[in-house]
Amino acid sequence: MIRLDNVSYTYEKGGGVSNVNLSLGDDEYAFLIGPTGSGKTTLLRLIYLDLFPQVGRVEIDKYKSDKIKRRKIPYLRRKIGMVFQDYHLLDDRNLFDNIALPLHVIGVEKDEIVERVNDSIEEVGLEGKENHFPMELSGGEQQRACVARALVKDPDIILADEPTGNLDPVTSFELIKLLEEVNREGAAILMASHNYNLIKGRGHRIIEIQNGTVRQS
Amino acid sequence: MDKMMFLFSEGLKNLWRHKLTAFSAIFSTFLTLSVTGSLIIATENTNKVIEYLRDKYKIEVFFKQNISDNRVVALAKEFNSIRGIRSTTVITKSDAEKIFKSQFGENILDMVGYNPLPASCVLNIVKNQPDAVKIRPIIDRLRTYPEVDEVNYQGRLINRIESYYQKFVKGMTGLLIFVLLISVLIISNTVRLTIFAKEELIKALQLIGATRSFVKAPFVIEGVFHGLIGALLASILLIGGLSLGEDILQSVTGLKLQYDTLFLISVLCGTGILISLVGSSRAISKYLK
Repeated sequence: MIRLDNVSYTYEKGGGVSNVNLSLGDDEYAFLIGPTGSGKTTLLRLIYLDLFPQVGRVEIDKYKSDKIKRRKIPYLRRKIGMVFQDYHLLDDRNLFDNIALPLHVIGVEKDEIVERVNDSIEEVGLEGKENHFPMELSGGEQQRACVARALVKDPDIILADEPTGNLDPVTSFELIKLLEEVNREGAAILMASHNYNLIKGRGHRIIEIQNGTVRQS
Repeated sequence: MDKMMFLFSEGLKNLWRHKLTAFSAIFSTFLTLSVTGSLIIATENTNKVIEYLRDKYKIEVFFKQNISDNRVVALAKEFNSIRGIRSTTVITKSDAEKIFKSQFGENILDMVGYNPLPASCVLNIVKNQPDAVKIRPIIDRLRTYPEVDEVNYQGRLINRIESYYQKFVKGMTGLLIFVLLISVLIISNTVRLTIFAKEELIKALQLIGATRSFVKAPFVIEGVFHGLIGALLASILLIGGLSLGEDILQSVTGLKLQYDTLFLISVLCGTGILISLVGSSRAISKYLK
């Protein structure tokens, strides 16, 4: 489903990834582990085509980085749910509206939006918080809201960039379990983290990245 | 349909979410359109003045003595087809005799034994054309007729009035274009401020798969609302000001301002929407480039 062939990307001021070869299956759950600045975020950005490889090719389903037209990128991103360390929730709308946003983008009908958003909220355990604004939620709740926003469009892949970075160990552990449930329902998950202790012993594939190079996969 | 409704309601909600920039954009549109509306009213009333003056332009064509009345009537018909002539009035020799009698109280036949007054034709000039009325080509054309003895007209005065009028029209047009361009730039920059403040929203929309047009639409719709509100406020100011001031103006100067309320509101709303549409589209397109 996700395939990176000899992918390199270097920022103007240095850093990036070089010569990355990687593939992730349809229902796989993998951790991308490495220290801060090792290239984890760059790798994820390359997958959702926020960056284009300077060398090599990224392939997600039928979309290929060297052939895709710019106007087609939104359609690729509709297949991917993204979860970020700093949540990226919109402060000026409540939880329900934040989660509903991807469905408005896709053009889902109003009644279906209500149904799907409520299902997502239930799935992440935030029932009763629909009318709360992000500032009124705890860090863990905001991150779960972020997961709900990623799940609501029923994505094929979830990319999570340090989603536990701002959470305490207990909440971090709950989030990983939540993503495992999502994975069981059929979505492939690639989660970047620098916290090895959090992910070890869970039986998932671990991809190690250091200085922009994938060491062990 | 739900998507359209969502984008429309997002545009409307943005007015409240971006209160400060909405106020700035509405205020600059309001100022621009107030100036634009004033210029429109001034131009409309200047047009009435120029039409009034052009109504007074007269060209008098005097025919040679031996020309028959029938020929004079036929020539007047020909003159009527000359470009720039609105209407003609024939004054035959016997009409001239009657005019003389009514003006001087004496019969010219009794005084000199024959009628020496020539047949003539008064030519009225078109009055409601936007271009300058060019008298010289008309005069030159009239002088090519062998039957014409003399052509009298207020050449210098007409040329001067027409020249001033054309300068006024050009000045007003230039000023209007300048004001509208400035307004587009102000609106565009105001919307850019909104966009920078909403970078997070734009980024989030792009990451969840929003197309370029989906990202643009709420900003453009918000811009249209700015334009419409600014235009309505400018209309209220102008029409209110005019209805309060026109009685005073009429009593002091005797001039009655002429304007079409519906036309004014339509032009201001149309212009407001257009400049806001151009301004906001320009800003968001530049950002998304």
